[in-house]
Amino acid sequence: MAAFVALLSYASPSDWGRFIDDPYIWRLVRFSFLQASLSALLSMALAIPVASCLYHRRFAGRQTLLNLFAVSMVVPTIVAILGIVVVYGRHGWFTSVFGFAFPLYGLGGILLAHVFFNMPLAVRVILQAYGLIPDSQWRLASQLGLSRWQAFHLIEWSYLKKTLPGLFLLVFMLCFSSFAVVLSLGGGPRSSTLEVAIYQALRFEFDLNKASYLSLLQVAICSTVALAVYKFAPAVRQDVSVYQGQRLPLRSGVLPNVIDGLSLSVVLLWVLPPFIAILSPIVSPLFWHTLQANDLWWSVWHSVRIALPSGLLALVIGLSIAALARSVRWRSRGDWLADKLEQSGNLVLMVPGLVLATGLFLLLRHLGIGLRHAYWIVVWVNAVMALPFVLRAIMPTLYQQEKRYRHLYEQLQIFGWSRLRLEWQQIRTAMAQGLAYAVLLSLGDLGVVALFGSKGLETLPMYLFQLIGSYRVEQGGCVAVVLILLCLALFYGITRLVGGRRAVI
Amino acid sequence: MPFKSFAVTAAALLASSIAAANTLNVYTYDSFASEWGPGPKIKTRFEAQCDCEVNFVALDSSVGILSRVQLEGEASEADVLLGLDLNLMQSAKQTDLLAKHNVDTTDVQTPNGWSDEYFVPFDQGYFAFIYDSEKLETPPTSLKDVVENQDLKVIYQDPRTSTPGLGLLLWMKSVYGEQAADAWAQLSEHTVTVTKGWYDGYSLFLKGEADVVLSYTTSPAYHMVAEGENKYKAAEASEGFYPQIEVAAMMNSAPNKALAEEFMQFILAPEFQNVVATGNWMYPVMNNIEPLPEAFSTLPEATKVLTLPAEQVAKQRQAWVNEWLEATTR
Repeated sequence: MAAFVALLSYASPSDWGRFIDDPYIWRLVRFSFLQASLSALLSMALAIPVASCLYHRRFAGRQTLLNLFAVSMVVPTIVAILGIVVVYGRHGWFTSVFGFAFPLYGLGGILLAHVFFNMPLAVRVILQAYGLIPDSQWRLASQLGLSRWQAFHLIEWSYLKKTLPGLFLLVFMLCFSSFAVVLSLGGGPRSSTLEVAIYQALRFEFDLNKASYLSLLQVAICSTVALAVYKFAPAVRQDVSVYQGQRLPLRSGVLPNVIDGLSLSVVLLWVLPPFIAILSPIVSPLFWHTLQANDLWWSVWHSVRIALPSGLLALVIGLSIAALARSVRWRSRGDWLADKLEQSGNLVLMVPGLVLATGLFLLLRHLGIGLRHAYWIVVWVNAVMALPFVLRAIMPTLYQQEKRYRHLYEQLQIFGWSRLRLEWQQIRTAMAQGLAYAVLLSLGDLGVVALFGSKGLETLPMYLFQLIGSYRVEQGGCVAVVLILLCLALFYGITRLVGGRRAVI
Repeated sequence: MPFKSFAVTAAALLASSIAAANTLNVYTYDSFASEWGPGPKIKTRFEAQCDCEVNFVALDSSVGILSRVQLEGEASEADVLLGLDLNLMQSAKQTDLLAKHNVDTTDVQTPNGWSDEYFVPFDQGYFAFIYDSEKLETPPTSLKDVVENQDLKVIYQDPRTSTPGLGLLLWMKSVYGEQAADAWAQLSEHTVTVTKGWYDGYSLFLKGEADVVLSYTTSPAYHMVAEGENKYKAAEASEGFYPQIEVAAMMNSAPNKALAEEFMQFILAPEFQNVVATGNWMYPVMNNIEPLPEAFSTLPEATKVLTLPAEQVAKQRQAWVNEWLEATTR
């Protein structure tokens, strides 16, 4: 927040008049709006049946798929774009199978890439909502002989609809400010985003005034969308039962089988091939050659050294916000405050990362804090940037605990640390997921670390871009594999260690 | 909180502030400082003569170097900025953060010679379209060919976010002048996409997404020397090539002014100039060096060079970018 205000202090609103009547900016806004809404809707439309299928069925490779889904959003954009190009490009697999080229450049390509990044995220968020459904309801559903469709309609939907507005907003904002994807696959400056204009103003023109105006415009648009979405969002009414017992299978029919099969194959055909293309360098001799580079392991160390503390910090901040929000929720007039607290986390997504980092840079300079503390600044900024994801992961579970046990805790006068210790077994899965997301996001970060970059901060993504920047695209692909494997290992490690063995997703 | 890592960092900070007395901080872009770039060799060679430590701070691009010192202002710890280019010179000068150098640049081999009191050039190249000679039978031989051939799939970079993109903008302007807008419109008809940076576009081209991509005349030399691959070629440009000259400058607030001055002299020395050809895949700016690798002789020679005056570029860049935007989004 302060960082953003710092940048704004360089603004002189009286000049903004001349920016407002720039027709190109408004065309940009229209296009961004369209592409972000479509990406978000498409991601969700696909994610709902897939999540339902993954929840109800157990099959070989399910866990692998879920782990892969967790890392999709940290794949560096250029690597993902190249993966998509290998599959859908002019000489890609799609062309060789169907005999004609996929219209990749334009809205089609942008949607393709955005769904690749965000649909897996959506699936995981929705699966988390499924985790809130008490097992007694499934027991009942099984006893009543409900079909999958009836169960979806009667049980699942009432949980889903609480998650969907927030999820829509999350994906919308991620796509609205998406940068490299839109430029690379957009097919020309017709497809562009506000973020490009902000980047240009900040980097090429060093026009802090224009940059502030454009970022405010972006915040205003995203806030409007957020307000509209929250209008439709049903009030948070968590279930009181947290009973977890044996799971009983539901009656399955032809229709659910078909839908499950269809949605799974769409996902497998959409998300998996680019992943295979991205991971394919693992079989090349160059991969083993790359592994022997000393700098690679240094950059792995630098990455981990930033990502772990920053993930922890994000979790601590997230937990504080969540604890505050839930303590006022369900009190008289408290709901309003709780909503605001929740949404404050989202504000971070609306402000472009580069703007946030630049603002912070100026603020710190103003306070006389030099770049000698670059390491801590990067850790801190990364933690703040991960906040929306952490909140999304831990809020529902914390609310559930509050609703169920609040009176008991109050009666017994159990607060603070002791309460957290009692709750730990119930919330550790969600905590693990929040932490894992924060660590992964920080691991994949490039913008912040590049702005503050100095000795000792050469992270894995930076190493990758150095390679690609010196013509070594193939070797860059190998480093991307290392990055993804590192993400997978950390994700698995964190969910197992912190989340315990019950951590299914 | 991990106290141990804090202690380690604190110790490292202490150590670095002691060492700072004899450290030269050079801000540069990432691929220059990387282990395959010219950075490491230049570091060892300079350290051998200066009894000091060279510390490269790698930023994401040449624009990144400038915006970093703009953000830091007078408090910057940078001594030397290495890796600005021709088109950033004007805005870099306007920051008032640079100091004049006292390097003798009379022997510098750039088109039209070199005389600038703030900047010393360290390497040069020419923007060009690269093609795969095994796939493209009739390659373009001029910029007009690239613009007008509607069957040619083109990838170039965004002039708002990348150096080669800006280079193409100026190249088009110097060839087409008043007709640039129409030429852009014509080019946009067969443009595959316009990418954010050089590497996005170039890697898309390597994956076969386009017939030609905007890069440098020296790019094929990398493929020949490092990969033994001879199929990539730079297209000729009968109108003339547009140059890219990379420059270095000294900071006014340089903590280590004497070392900075010594380094500025070193830039034109053979020890530095010998590294740029196969380190940065660009041409050196001096004659006093070892012959270039064989591969460089196969590259198109820039017999004719187009340039626009720096003041005009600085003044009209924004207008030309808008013209490009207008023409390509029609």
